[in-house]
Amino acid sequence: MKKQKTTTSSMAKRTWQKFLKNKLAMLGLIVFVVFVLASLGAPILTSFDPNKINLANISRSPSWTHILGTDRLGRDVFSRILYGGRISIFIGVVSALSGTIIGVVFGSVAGYFGGKIDTLLVRISEIFLTFPQMILILVMVSFLGPGISNLIIIFSVTGWMTTFRMVRNEFLSLKEETYVEVSRAFGISDTSIMFKQILPNTMSPIVVAMTINIANFILQEAGLSFIGLGVPSTLPTWGNIINAAKSVEVIRNFWWLWLSPGLVISVFVLAVNFLGDGLRDVLDPKQ
Amino acid sequence: MAKFLVKKILAMIPMLLAISAMVFFALELTPTDPINYLISPDMASSAGNIEALRESLGLNDPAIIRYFRWLFNLIRGDFGYSIISGTSIREIIMLRLPATLELALVSLVLSTIIGIGIGLLSAINQNGWIDYVGRVMGVVGISIPQFFFGIVVIQIFAIQFGWLPFGSRMAPGQTAFFDRLHFMVLPAFTMAIAMTAALLRYTRNSMLDVLNKDYIKLARSKGIPEWKVYLKHAFRTALRPVLVILIFRLPILIGGSIVIESVFSWPGIGSVILSSISAGDYPVIMVTTLLVAAAILISSIFVDIATALLDPRVRFE
Repeated sequence: MKKQKTTTSSMAKRTWQKFLKNKLAMLGLIVFVVFVLASLGAPILTSFDPNKINLANISRSPSWTHILGTDRLGRDVFSRILYGGRISIFIGVVSALSGTIIGVVFGSVAGYFGGKIDTLLVRISEIFLTFPQMILILVMVSFLGPGISNLIIIFSVTGWMTTFRMVRNEFLSLKEETYVEVSRAFGISDTSIMFKQILPNTMSPIVVAMTINIANFILQEAGLSFIGLGVPSTLPTWGNIINAAKSVEVIRNFWWLWLSPGLVISVFVLAVNFLGDGLRDVLDPKQ
Repeated sequence: MAKFLVKKILAMIPMLLAISAMVFFALELTPTDPINYLISPDMASSAGNIEALRESLGLNDPAIIRYFRWLFNLIRGDFGYSIISGTSIREIIMLRLPATLELALVSLVLSTIIGIGIGLLSAINQNGWIDYVGRVMGVVGISIPQFFFGIVVIQIFAIQFGWLPFGSRMAPGQTAFFDRLHFMVLPAFTMAIAMTAALLRYTRNSMLDVLNKDYIKLARSKGIPEWKVYLKHAFRTALRPVLVILIFRLPILIGGSIVIESVFSWPGIGSVILSSISAGDYPVIMVTTLLVAAAILISSIFVDIATALLDPRVRFE
């Protein structure tokens, strides 16, 4: 038992060293951490209330007091970006996590048991894949209405299929392995074999897919809030801030209202994608 | 071949039934009265007795019967009516679909050429500067929100330089294709960005995979010129998975068009869906969605045919 532990830890160490050497992935991780810390530490970094309307101070260009200017209701844009990051990142991470859980549970059940339940789950995933994700999301928004928790539900329900297929395929091949047969012969329960014996062997692609999903969901939230169907406009999110730029007049005259939130979304999503690509390079044994 | 096609089409039918049933029962759940979207508003208002009309239309029948009647009407091309404007959904779609298809097609062509082109060059010059640029483009392209990219190009090309219009599909009265071509430049490029990036990544990986195969080494060792190795031997094999991805990406184009159409006030299906959602016009939302899904299912048959034609290992069975 002790010996096994040292081998896993040296594996982890090697992976970690490989990860450290991957410059883009490290950069992605650093940017990710910095953005998360900045939005969590928003009250320290800015003294402005993101929701405080100040009609005496509307649409000011960036200055020393308001480093990213103020919006059309006189709210400080920098503060809104910091506080908005909390909601945007939260939605992205939680949706990716719950989508992954759905995909993993369905995928393991389908791959492990096979037969009718497998056919049924594969069919369901195919039906979901037939609709463009954006349209599926919009249809569900039209039924459930916008809002943070609804968005998370909608994103998880529409974003589990890739993970599902991946996990199912892994399970299909792994369940034939000797260690699974041995576990079964020992009378270990199916749930335990599925989640304790087989699942750890499929973790790498799952983690990579989840990272990519975080990036994807943050983009989706921004897009939905931009067209006015995401998070209610009273809450600051990255998409809601840029929502102001729907008119040509704003694009023309108030560049700070769309340029900074747009860049923040792009840089953050880019960082997450670098992280995902890096993880794939490091974790994929074929590399 | 015929047998293969029939089998594929037969396999598609249960899917279409399941999807249409989902759409129908979702519509049933909405607070919309079917009498408002099943018949034209003129007919509804001219009928004296709404209850008698309801009975004669069979709206009091069990749901399953109503579902099949609705499905039959759909197949005949009777899509029902918008509950907001009273226009027939078929008319709305006929009017708006060309705009969406036009945009999707142009950006598809653009992204195919650029994406596959740079992807191949990237793979051939692996770790060279083209590869570096290609890889950066590949990640940046999928990371920038499309609407943000749209705003930036509007600011640069429409507002700063004034070269191109910042929205809509054509100037009033100028309907000829070349008169309105410049309206399409910005939206089509914006829409092509994400797709180009994805295609570029797939092409590069697929080409790299093939270039490491033994038969390529064999071809090289026989002294076949390098360009011939790429074009005649590697290219064809590498492009097969790319083609599949290309066709599978079509739905993303249609989905992505919703945001793009909103940024550029493009009068297509996306803006119909968007305004229907704001107005709670469920029949329009659901029927358009169903049509999009049906179109995607049908195009997936083309994917199967294309793969079978390109890959000698797949037989029409």
